[in-house]
Amino acid sequence: MLSYILKRLGIGVFTIWFIATATFTAMHMVPGDPLSNERGTNEIIRANLERQYGLDKPVFQQYLLYMGNMLKGDFGIAFSEENRSVNDIIREHFPVSATLGLLSLLFATAGGVLWGALAALYRNRLPDAVLMFLVILGISVPSFVFAALSQLLILNLNQWAGRSILPVAGWGDFRSMLVPALVLGMSTMAFMTRLMRSSMLEVANTDYIRTARAKGLSPTRIFFRHQLRNAILPVITVLGPAIAIITTGGFVVESVFAIPGLGRYFVQAVAQLDYTVIMGTTVFFGAFLVLVVIAVDILYGFIDPRIRLGAV
Amino acid sequence: MSSSEYALEVDRLAVSFDTYGGVVQAVRDVSFKLRKGRTLAIVGESGCGKSVTMQSIMGLIPMPPGRITQGSARLNGDELLGISQKALNAIRGNRVGMIFQDPMSSLNPTMTIGRQIAETLVVHRGLSTSAARKEVLELLRLVQIPEAEKRIDQYPFEFSGGMLQRVMIAMAIACKPEVLIADEPTTALDVTIQAQILNLLKDLQERYGLSIILITHDLGVVARMAHDVAVMYAGQVVEAGSVDDIFYRSAHPYTLGLRAAMPSNDPEKRTLRIIPGSPPDLFAPPPGCAFAARCPHAMRLCHEHAPPLYGTGHIARCWLHHPQAPESPVRGNIATLTEPAC
Amino acid sequence: MSLNTPEFSASDFAPAPNLVAAERIVRPSLSYWQDAWLRLKKNRRALCSLYIVIALLLFTLLGPVIWRQDPALQDLDAISQGPTLGTRAIVVEDPGNWEGVRGEPAPLPPGGTLGAPTLRVEGIATTQYVRLVWSMVPGAQQYLIYRNDHAPESDQDLGLPLGTTLSPDELSFEDRLQLRPQRYWYTVIASDGVEEAAEHTTIEVSPQRAITVSQARERELDDTVGATVDLPAHPFGTDYLGRDLLARLMEGARVSLFIGIVAPLLFVLVGVIYGGISGYFGGNVDIVMMRVADFVIALPFLLFMILFRISFGIGPGESGIFPMLLALVLLRWPDTARLVRGQVLQLRGEAYVQAARVLGAQPGYLIFRHLLPNTMGPILVTLTFAIPMAIFTEAFLSFIGMGVSPPTPSWGSMSNEGIRTMLSSPHELLFPSIFISVTVLAFNMLGDGLRDALDSRMRSRE
Ligand SMILES: Nc1ncnc2c1ncn2[C@@H]1O[C@H](COP(=O)(O)OP(=O)(O)OP(=O)(O)O)[C@@H](O)[C@H]1O
Ligand SMILES: [Mg+2]
Repeated sequence: MLSYILKRLGIGVFTIWFIATATFTAMHMVPGDPLSNERGTNEIIRANLERQYGLDKPVFQQYLLYMGNMLKGDFGIAFSEENRSVNDIIREHFPVSATLGLLSLLFATAGGVLWGALAALYRNRLPDAVLMFLVILGISVPSFVFAALSQLLILNLNQWAGRSILPVAGWGDFRSMLVPALVLGMSTMAFMTRLMRSSMLEVANTDYIRTARAKGLSPTRIFFRHQLRNAILPVITVLGPAIAIITTGGFVVESVFAIPGLGRYFVQAVAQLDYTVIMGTTVFFGAFLVLVVIAVDILYGFIDPRIRLGAV
Repeated sequence: MSSSEYALEVDRLAVSFDTYGGVVQAVRDVSFKLRKGRTLAIVGESGCGKSVTMQSIMGLIPMPPGRITQGSARLNGDELLGISQKALNAIRGNRVGMIFQDPMSSLNPTMTIGRQIAETLVVHRGLSTSAARKEVLELLRLVQIPEAEKRIDQYPFEFSGGMLQRVMIAMAIACKPEVLIADEPTTALDVTIQAQILNLLKDLQERYGLSIILITHDLGVVARMAHDVAVMYAGQVVEAGSVDDIFYRSAHPYTLGLRAAMPSNDPEKRTLRIIPGSPPDLFAPPPGCAFAARCPHAMRLCHEHAPPLYGTGHIARCWLHHPQAPESPVRGNIATLTEPAC
Repeated sequence: MSLNTPEFSASDFAPAPNLVAAERIVRPSLSYWQDAWLRLKKNRRALCSLYIVIALLLFTLLGPVIWRQDPALQDLDAISQGPTLGTRAIVVEDPGNWEGVRGEPAPLPPGGTLGAPTLRVEGIATTQYVRLVWSMVPGAQQYLIYRNDHAPESDQDLGLPLGTTLSPDELSFEDRLQLRPQRYWYTVIASDGVEEAAEHTTIEVSPQRAITVSQARERELDDTVGATVDLPAHPFGTDYLGRDLLARLMEGARVSLFIGIVAPLLFVLVGVIYGGISGYFGGNVDIVMMRVADFVIALPFLLFMILFRISFGIGPGESGIFPMLLALVLLRWPDTARLVRGQVLQLRGEAYVQAARVLGAQPGYLIFRHLLPNTMGPILVTLTFAIPMAIFTEAFLSFIGMGVSPPTPSWGSMSNEGIRTMLSSPHELLFPSIFISVTVLAFNMLGDGLRDALDSRMRSRE
């Protein structure tokens, strides 16, 4: 198990290095070298930039400087705003994104497991058909459509109630998080429902469920003690990709709902060509995703005894 | 009734499956009796309906598509077919224990074997977790698993196949069942382990007076373990009797074929003979004898009329026992009505 | 077990082994693809999806031939129009050459209060302009003009303030502000420069749809004033620049489906070649190649798509179809490669491949003649599922402004534009997103059906 974790971490570090290098290369491939370009910068920012990125030095030294800073956890300084470091930006906006993401992951996983188990229980009957239709919708409708539709719905709801039941946009208390988190988790929930359903059906046909029935256990006990636990395992393996989808999906949902998260900031930075912020946040997001996937794999190892005890 | 000499009596059981391709008549009119404290072997080729027979009695076939269309099964006089799920659950694992072919896949991979065995005791005997654990340790020792204290907390993947089959046996006999159904318990194991498991079963039978139904397609296992034998072909019992009847007085050409196909220790006859052809399609069983198409002694009428059961005690479903039938190797091997039955 | 069997004759007991062996039911043997096709045809959902996909392709390829409106033509008179099936309009003279009406202002009689003017429309009210003329109110220094889309319920509910006259002798007003063919309520209030009159006049006006002479000339229509002309139909409405949405959806379909189909074709091809080579050679080559594939899979894909775009120097507002295509191909091949490798590894062991090998077949020959045809089924399924993924990616990127940008329409960028006017004219968001959803839905269900059709065949082959 330990060597497995170390190996995964090693590959992860390599991947992060690759992302950082690719980002650096991408920025230096931009025609006209935007870092030395004077667009939108004033004297102070210029001086900061030169110091931070060693713009007067050869490219290779710039690269070393950049990697060194990254290693120290310094993601650079903003290009368009005075005296604001990318670290500040991340510190300010990432918690918002993380809260939103975590909440929607919770929705997606809990919903997926619940609906999937239900669909499997009612296999080929009406509830199953309805759920599977909704799943197909959830997979096929883009998140921005869900976002827009839910905004319309909230508006009408508020109008009908004559007061603000749920805010249409913005960020603050739990009420404002509810709908965006649901919207963000929708497609993941659909995927997980589908996965959970097929996994439940697969487990139901296994020999060990037959053994459990031959032991005279009640259907409820079989369902909870034997079927559910084994059926959830595949759902846990997709948590990593699910987090990646939710993180990038956050770009859209945060933009539509005007949520001050890092995703929306990233989209804005790309729109304004704030190169240093793009560089910093890309590497940050990349590292985050790589580490999360590894974390999920390790978590999975702890849940599945076969991996925990090194059988696989 | 419970004082009868039979632990399990199955009478005229028929099971079919509704599939997209049509109705599969997997079991057609099967009857047999298991004597108390004895072993009844059910033998037959793969797909002939051995597992379906036993699993339908225990309510383990998926329904739908499965359907029990007729018959009865009595466990020491108590009817098993058509009773409520709850009543059935009180019997499974308690009065009837089952073990299956592939021990590797028959145990829950994410639960320690100790808890899996204990579950039976907790559910049927209402034991507390700690009391159950003590009992499980006993059981593990009984089935000769070394280092039981350590093994009890391990997961299935940490065991070898033979050890897992011992675990399965421990689980099946935990509640001292009246009948143990073993569905090809040794097929997935290698030869030396096979012998150990069979010895263990025999040992348990002697110790506790277990009545065992042993499903197998290995006549060697039958010879070694069984007191009585039922030979199945295409969803029917074609011959049944004591082990000596089957081996020395085979009354059905299929049994003869099986015996001929048995690998022999005699180096002269080492060539493995198989019965040519394959079993009939269970979607549309032929009108006559199901074995007729492969039978070297088939007569014209075999193809058109289903043979009745001849004999009592030692019985066979074959036209060759008809008084008008010509001479054949099976002739005279059962007591037909023309001769007094004993 | 009754032995009272019917009487048999001796011939019944004549030996007859293997009598029925010959009359085995012979099922017609179908080829792999025929069988899969039969199964697919039985699956109603998959068949429906197939029809939808075909309809979409026709829509994209033949649509522009039949529907000949210019997707880029802006019509500022038809901004954000809901769906219409052709309208008629009258031709009116160009606005701006109306002098208006003036009158001699009169002083307020002593002790009097400001009254309300009488109000009328000069000429006919059209969507080009509504010309209001009113009578002079003694003592008025200026007049305030309001427009409302419902009958005013109170003095506070007069609607949009359109303007104020500049001098006391101005007694008319020309409204040209985004008029639609609907009912309006115009109100004119006199004011002495400090206070507004207590009374006012409101009239109801229903402008007729109209175009100006010069617009008619531009579109080569009858340009005599008063003539009635047919305006183009907009069955899906128009967007915020008055462009025909149907024509734009067709044009956008070309971009969306181009990326959605070409990119998967390319990356599946790359994956097939890569996986084929890796699986065929096996050993260390395989290990290294699969490591690389694992590594590429682990990269955060959307971030890289954005980086790609930036490194190509494509700023916001510029279209990046090519970088998007390239990024998809470079980052999405490993799934197919893994699949093909697995299949090839499995097939490699099979007898006929071994035989061909022994006969000295070249690796290329083996891969392309034996291994690939046998993995076509799963590859087709992967391809079918890759298409909705690519369409989704395009929509997602275009929506956040990182993909196809205006003026090139794609369904994603159209949704992006539509969401801004979501509240006032939802159809601008609705139609492109319905197209995305239906397309993705159809390909997903088709993929499901294909997988089932090919899968069960594979299972029964074992
Ligand atoms: N769920 C099912 N649906 C349809 N047919 C089934 C089902 N289960 C069993 N059958 C059919 O019932 C027949 C008997 O199967 P069964 O498993 O009892 O054979 P078996 O004698 O135990 O063979 P083996 O030695 O391989 O275990 C088979 O022909 C099989 O096709
Ligand atoms: Mg079986």
